[in-house]
Amino acid sequence: MTDCRGPAIVSVMNETIDKRDPAVRAEIARRFAEAIPHNHAIGLVLEDASTDTVRMRLGYREVFLGDIESGLWHTGITFTAADSACGLAVFLKLPGLEAIATLDLRMDHHRPAVADKDLIIEAYCHHVTQRMAFVTADLYQDARERCVARATATFTRTGRSVLS
Amino acid sequence: MNERVNKLSRALARADYAALVAAVPYAGYLGLSIETDPDGARRYVMAYDEQLIGNAGLPALHGGTVASLLSLAMQFEALIDMPAPRLPDPVDVTVDYWRSAGPSCCIATARLIRSGRHVAQAQAVCYQDSPERPIAFGRSAFVLRDV
Repeated sequence: MTDCRGPAIVSVMNETIDKRDPAVRAEIARRFAEAIPHNHAIGLVLEDASTDTVRMRLGYREVFLGDIESGLWHTGITFTAADSACGLAVFLKLPGLEAIATLDLRMDHHRPAVADKDLIIEAYCHHVTQRMAFVTADLYQDARERCVARATATFTRTGRSVLS
Repeated sequence: MNERVNKLSRALARADYAALVAAVPYAGYLGLSIETDPDGARRYVMAYDEQLIGNAGLPALHGGTVASLLSLAMQFEALIDMPAPRLPDPVDVTVDYWRSAGPSCCIATARLIRSGRHVAQAQAVCYQDSPERPIAFGRSAFVLRDV
């Protein structure tokens, strides 16, 4: 399991926070993004976490390509974008500050992403049980109806607080 | 065909794996290299870089980079191992995470399970200290493009 989203969210946050409060959601989202160095390295930024659908943007870079001549993104970079967005969608859906970990992740590649355009990731946590959370993400460039890829992931709830 | 296919074909013919990786910018960005054991088995190595960290607290590699390593290992293995050169495009990839990956290099081994007329299937595992303690497992289907 990866990404036991650890001691990222501290101080003003505690177990009784109200995750429906927009200010709290914004603060969680900000700290969540900051606590993940690789997101910062690739330039993955959060655009909206005000609703249950978390939206992130990955700006185009030439190093993300699989094939320079035909100008297509490599599919590999989609995993990082999807895992991060799915993790935040799950974390915001759960009560309290419970740490989570990716159990499995499936990516369906519908069509190639093209050069010079950003990638948008929208993740939504559909269902939560006592031990698990189920989440999907759509990745697209121009229109959500023309998905580049769709991710389906299951996260485990660790039962531990990210503060512990 | 295009310059890229020529580049890949030349690299494959000479088993020049550095050239193969160089033809895929994202593989280079991830710090991937392909090593060959004395018995001919290939290992796909993602060099450690602190930028690959997903959790600074543990610390642990980002789960996305582990998935990318597995996916690239399966894709390169399919490309190298296929009887006639065709380009494998990933259709779907699933990764099971077994334990978190620490701050060091990560090594994947991959196997081309089946290569048909239009579709190929592969599996991969990755580890850090020992193959006895695997970190994640991947499986992938590819659609094959004629070159």
